[in-house]
Amino acid sequence: MASRRRMLLKVIILGDSGVGKTSLMNQYVNKKFSNQYKATIGADFLTKEVQIDDRLFTLQIWDTAGQERFQSLGVAFYRGADCCVLVYDVNVTKSFERLNSWREEFLIQASPSDPENFPFVVLGNKIDVDGGNSRTVSEKKAKAWCASKGNIPYFETSAKEGFNVEAAFEYIFLIQLMLEVLEGNSARQAVNARRYGTSDIAS
Amino acid sequence: MNGLYVEEKRSREGRETCSQREPTTGLVPSNPTDGGDPTQQDTIESNRVHSLQGRGASEQGRRRRGIGIASGRPPMDMDPPTNNPSPPGPPDSPPPEKRLASLSLRTSHLPPDFEIHDDYDDDDDDEGYLTAVSRVGSISTSASASASAWKDDLEDADVAPPSPSSSGYAAERGTSLASSAAANDDPQPQPDDDDWPRDKKHLHEDDTSASWRKRKKHFFILSNSGKPIYSRYGDEHKLAGFSATLQAIISFVENSGDHIKFVRAAKHQIVFLVKGPIYLVCISCTEESYEGLRGQLELMYGQMLLILTKSVNRCFEKNPKFDMAPLLGGTDAVFLSLIHAFSWNPATFLHAYTCLPLAQSTRQAASAVLQDIADSGVLFALLMCEHKVISLVGAQKATLHPDDIFLLSNFILSSESFRTSESFSPICLPRYNSMAFLYAYENTYLTLLTARSDAFYDLKDSRSRIQNVLLKANVLVEVQRSLRESALRIEDLPADPSSQSVSPPPQFSQDLHFQLLSSEMAIGGPAGLWHFIYKSIYLDQYVSSEFPLIISNPKQQKRLYKAYKKLYASMHDKATGPHKTQFRRDEDYVLFCWITQDFELYAAFNPLADKSQAIKVCNRVCQWIRDLENEIFVYGESTLSW
Repeated sequence: MASRRRMLLKVIILGDSGVGKTSLMNQYVNKKFSNQYKATIGADFLTKEVQIDDRLFTLQIWDTAGQERFQSLGVAFYRGADCCVLVYDVNVTKSFERLNSWREEFLIQASPSDPENFPFVVLGNKIDVDGGNSRTVSEKKAKAWCASKGNIPYFETSAKEGFNVEAAFEYIFLIQLMLEVLEGNSARQAVNARRYGTSDIAS
Repeated sequence: MNGLYVEEKRSREGRETCSQREPTTGLVPSNPTDGGDPTQQDTIESNRVHSLQGRGASEQGRRRRGIGIASGRPPMDMDPPTNNPSPPGPPDSPPPEKRLASLSLRTSHLPPDFEIHDDYDDDDDDEGYLTAVSRVGSISTSASASASAWKDDLEDADVAPPSPSSSGYAAERGTSLASSAAANDDPQPQPDDDDWPRDKKHLHEDDTSASWRKRKKHFFILSNSGKPIYSRYGDEHKLAGFSATLQAIISFVENSGDHIKFVRAAKHQIVFLVKGPIYLVCISCTEESYEGLRGQLELMYGQMLLILTKSVNRCFEKNPKFDMAPLLGGTDAVFLSLIHAFSWNPATFLHAYTCLPLAQSTRQAASAVLQDIADSGVLFALLMCEHKVISLVGAQKATLHPDDIFLLSNFILSSESFRTSESFSPICLPRYNSMAFLYAYENTYLTLLTARSDAFYDLKDSRSRIQNVLLKANVLVEVQRSLRESALRIEDLPADPSSQSVSPPPQFSQDLHFQLLSSEMAIGGPAGLWHFIYKSIYLDQYVSSEFPLIISNPKQQKRLYKAYKKLYASMHDKATGPHKTQFRRDEDYVLFCWITQDFELYAAFNPLADKSQAIKVCNRVCQWIRDLENEIFVYGESTLSW
């Protein structure tokens, strides 16, 4: 088990209150959904382990509170994130318009080394509501915004029905794997040499 | 993002750079791990921030309590015996089972605490509840949090010391040059180590496991982004959510411009230590003091630095995403051995080291040859046997800090490859960057510290020269003999000269309580003395006596150490102390502590011991130590720089 490289990814979920951040996380981690709304206080934390080929990933998901009064927690929470998931409600235009400020706030507070290329994922949630009739943000509009921000990958999801949730989260691993390929084998070899001890324990 | 690989590579480079760096000027004088020196920074006790309700607190009243703390009491009769009988030479060979437990890391039988289940500690059956974190932990700005029970009715068996072959750690270190073991380096018999250390770590557990929650003492290391680095129990990755919660608590307090020191919840105490980008947390219901637990976290941090060097801080500066856990891969044995030592090695709370008793001439022979080497460019030459120092020589009249000696020996003793080969490895003494050359001869090992990364072959030559001299001078034989025979036993405490005419031991016949004692209780030294630890403040060294038969049970020994720790904490309490003497009687012991500017004496008597008799005996112990000091202490290397 230990001979495989394990990686821990810190994922922050951001978005207005009520867009379904906690529901998405619960659907992804626990395969559960509840119609009851329970505002997150501060932040919740969930862990999920995922194996992709021979790689074992641990997602450390930081489900933050959407309410404004918790925004002051930002710096502490965002530090060292590997990926940021931005969520809006396709039935609430305001929540879409706020994506920009969520993104900017994150980049300011987390101050990643390469803000241009920091991996974001955008989720348009609640596409199941009213059979899509109450929808106010079109997919086209959302994709256009994502494209303007450096081609952020975009997914339409329904936390209630579990639609596209898994695919959206798995994209995070895909990003990670792509980054590793880009960095080439030399870096990987250095790391492998560095991992003294682990293969010994596994044997 | 720039993946972790790049940063890890950087870290490796950083580490090599760091370890090749010229040593800085001497040692930093301050001692951050001094348990008697709680932080001075402007901090709060943050119980108010996270309200933690406790149930079952009322039961605490039935716990054992000490009585009769005498602070600032004028010392009792301190007149040393004027006519001390001849100091005992090396006493007769004791039965092997009487060897001091803390010394037996390498013996084939397991140390005493490695017993299946330690349920003796009957003061732990209260149920404490604290509001804290469950798997979906919640950190809130209000005072509420989800409640989860931390039952403490289960005394976990403390971790075992490392079994030698379990690590394999150093063998794969890129920079470790290991030559084959010398011909005379007998392979040690392998203890039954199949279930260690991974099983001891209980990898299947996480914060949802009842067994995990019942553990009496957790240690966590995490990064300031909430990524887990080390956990004593359970798999770090499975504890990622818990780790994030700890980070959130710490950050929440820091956001308000403050620092969290500890949270108390019924019987549990959660102690936090922030070291730049590294957070250390201990969750304990062992009743140890805040200062004591904090000192243990400092040692954890020191051990981590010793392995990884301070360049880890730069990794975090460059990349907050940095995942440090892989860098510590394979070092579980080192940390488990360290945590084990918190219960069993007085060095961890006295911040002093102990020496192997040796005839003065033998030690001088060893020191002389080490001094020769030190004069030829080695920073320090350290000859040790198990946890005991045989000789220590520094080139520039600098001294190694006792905590550094302890962490170094813990690292060496818990890493099997060090013990079977000549190794050259970068280490970072928390205050002294250097390369270490290590050579082990059975349970005796020589450590040469240098600042030169290319010094391996020079040091290898030095090693064989030293070994030749040590063999010729019979030092190694003497070391083994001392290990077997030379422990301090309270029965050997010289009789009080003033009462020599009475048939010894006179105290017993005078003791009114004596007849009440069972014969078993009476075993021990004069006046019911069971055990003592004497620390020389000037030398940073301590000696402790062998455990008597009455404390031969490992659980009793652990309990006595716990009592000593408590005594140490109360004597050094910044708020009410420092105190000079303390006499404390409870149902287990009479404990007596006496601190002067020269020494600290901790003594345990049977619980019915007479106070004035006990005090007299303590005087005799101190005199005894003074008479033996040339054999039981290592004196400053400067005296040997002829």
